[in-house]
Amino acid sequence: MTCPASSPGGQRLSPGDTGSYFCYDNPAALQTQIQRDMQVNTTKFMLLYAWYSWPNVVLCFLGGFLIDRVFGIRWGTIIFTCFVCIGQVVFALGGIFNAFWLMEVGRFVFGIGGESLAVAQNTYAVSWFKGKELNLVFGLQLSMARIGSTVNMNLMGWLYSKFEASLGSAGPTTLGVTLLIGGVTCILSLISALALAYLDQRAERILHKEQGKTGEVIKLTDIKDFSLPLWLIFIICVCYYVVVFPFIGLGKVFFIQKFGFSSQEASAINSVVYVISAPMSPLFGFMVDKTGKNIIWVLCAVATTLVSHMMLAFTMWNPWIAMCLLGLSYSLLACALWPMVAYLVPEHQLGTAYGFMQSIQNLGLAIISIIAGIILDTRGYLVLEVFFIGCVSLALLSVVLLYLVNHARGGNLNYSTRQREEMKFSHTE
Amino acid sequence: MYSCGALRRGWGHCAPSPILFFSLLLSAAPFGLLGEETRQNLLHIRAVGTNSTLHYVWSTLGPPTVVLVATNTPHSVLSINWTRLLSPEPDGGLMILPKDSIQFSSALIFTRLLEFDSATSDAAAKPPGKPYPPYSLAEFSWNNITDSLYPATLSATFQGHPKGDPTGAFANGSLAFRVQAFARSGRPDQPPRLLHTADTCQLEVALVGASPRGNHSLFGIEVATVGQSPDCPMIQEQHSIDDEYAPTVFQLYQLLWGSLPSGFAQWRPVAFSQEKAGRESALSCQAFPLHPTVAHSLPQSPVVQAFFGLQEKYCTFNLTFGASTGPGYWDQHYLSWSMLLGVGLPPVDALSPLILGIMTVALGIPGLMLLGAGLTLILRCKHASEYQSIN
Repeated sequence: MTCPASSPGGQRLSPGDTGSYFCYDNPAALQTQIQRDMQVNTTKFMLLYAWYSWPNVVLCFLGGFLIDRVFGIRWGTIIFTCFVCIGQVVFALGGIFNAFWLMEVGRFVFGIGGESLAVAQNTYAVSWFKGKELNLVFGLQLSMARIGSTVNMNLMGWLYSKFEASLGSAGPTTLGVTLLIGGVTCILSLISALALAYLDQRAERILHKEQGKTGEVIKLTDIKDFSLPLWLIFIICVCYYVVVFPFIGLGKVFFIQKFGFSSQEASAINSVVYVISAPMSPLFGFMVDKTGKNIIWVLCAVATTLVSHMMLAFTMWNPWIAMCLLGLSYSLLACALWPMVAYLVPEHQLGTAYGFMQSIQNLGLAIISIIAGIILDTRGYLVLEVFFIGCVSLALLSVVLLYLVNHARGGNLNYSTRQREEMKFSHTE
Repeated sequence: MYSCGALRRGWGHCAPSPILFFSLLLSAAPFGLLGEETRQNLLHIRAVGTNSTLHYVWSTLGPPTVVLVATNTPHSVLSINWTRLLSPEPDGGLMILPKDSIQFSSALIFTRLLEFDSATSDAAAKPPGKPYPPYSLAEFSWNNITDSLYPATLSATFQGHPKGDPTGAFANGSLAFRVQAFARSGRPDQPPRLLHTADTCQLEVALVGASPRGNHSLFGIEVATVGQSPDCPMIQEQHSIDDEYAPTVFQLYQLLWGSLPSGFAQWRPVAFSQEKAGRESALSCQAFPLHPTVAHSLPQSPVVQAFFGLQEKYCTFNLTFGASTGPGYWDQHYLSWSMLLGVGLPPVDALSPLILGIMTVALGIPGLMLLGAGLTLILRCKHASEYQSIN
């Protein structure tokens, strides 16, 4: 799956993913309020992200299977959306009843639905748009999801202060009510899922279109066949994403404390990564499609992220610059890294490879979220940033190694598009 | 060189050192002069270098006061005339001799304990809420510090409560000033972990157990200093990238009495609402700028008058702790805040070896690899281009 090329024209899309992405970053948008009202330190706060990731360590393998064999795409989407809604409601109730353990349960349930919902969404897209504007659809899906994240970052803090004013005081109840209102987006997702199921069923009846399948075949034994370049890609994936998502989760307080931003400004700058990712993902996808040379683009993205974190850690320069760089490199990496898996692995192992990649990514996020919280509580933001710099540096090392291994083995990961075309042409002769 | 301070009353502690001679002298006024049960505490900390001496005179005679004096001789001594000091005109009761060796002298007086009702306030308001009548620290009665003197840590604690306490707010509570001197550079284990040197003293102000007058009371302290020049000194706010020692606190406040080297006071804008200080109990600390104040509107300090003579003008500033939401004194009826006092160059934080080590490895290894890979590729290309075909 490459990043989408931009093209004119649009299609009706469901806002299904928007609700889940909106609510995923609710903790980041309300970090100060959660830590204050629930009286938790950063380590416990980061558990809200860790619990989202834990179920997905396993579900990345099972998601495709559940959709293909057990539920079918329509019921699968509806069930996962229900998990997302119930999870968000339980999360909010944890606030209302002032029970942090209930909030953690809510995030766990939310996590069960969230990532699997993305798989279902992609399956719908392939089923409806394969052979047509599929890349554009993937790109627009991602953009909608990122718009959801951005709106969350900028809206939730404001919403909380409005409830605080009308309820008369801050506290767990105010927090819970704010989260419940945020959960309305999940209801919208559920309505979309139901509408999609109805339309899909109608299409099957009228157009004799088959129900979509993920097409993934997950065989855990395939893992032993993974090559060294593929393992290096896994390492890059884990090491890279752990410096983006946990950082955004903890970023708001960083911008308030170090740079003296107000709460609104800090929320806005924290959302910049997503704001940039929405339009730039399709553009970068187009660029990588046209030029090839994936490893070089990954190298650029990782190096830019390293520079961005160094700026945030060691300078007092306006953090808008560093966050814009982070947004650009995050978008670029997604477009250049994930397609490389398809060049390394035969089609029948692709499901296992992507499932494994997502699984360890979630495992890394779950563990590093907690570690980030501990580091922040005991040693502060500078040491946390240096830790992130260490992780990016590990990713950078892996990219360099990947280039060398690929070059030494005469691999095709860094081919330009022209070379790939020539290769395809010579194979068909 | 090894020697011990000889003392008539009280107790002394000695540290052998070729550079620093350290003595802690504790005096209590003779009972006969006072005729009252309250002991008047006076703690003298003297740090002697090769050609200079620093004197810190801490006292709860009147409001808690510290007089800082730096002299350019290792032989300067503190001279106390108790009769004069305890009289209504204490001028000349406290002296550092020889007088002409004094390079710098100033004082900090903690005049009042302030309390505000934060429920009526806006977060950024100055002052942070409707003020309750403040407690004058000149009207406090203090413990006998011989009981709270710890020679091993070079520290002593002045603990007091109001003499008249009609509401019983301090029935189970006290306001404590813990003074600590240091023989060498280092950092305490507890946040805010201010870097200290042998030239500095640390003061920790702790309010424990006192009953607040409202449900969400914010406390503060009023501090006065002797106005040396026509203008009051300014509090400088320093921003740094390093919050290793006080997590999420990137600022350092400094009060410099004059151009360097002179006396300084240094603190981080954070206070703590639990004894085990940590991020979850951190309160913000706001410092208001110094402004000139006439002497008669402040509780008088006999120690300052004894050393400096009758002063007409002081410079005062307020420090307030906490905000209307979040952790506060109301959690455990505990509040503590630390500052560093010294003379000379204020200590400057530097990046720790851990950070420098990680950065060296994190940047060095990929950098070297990139360099190596680049060189290898250049050499290979060059080798390939040097090949010449036979035909």
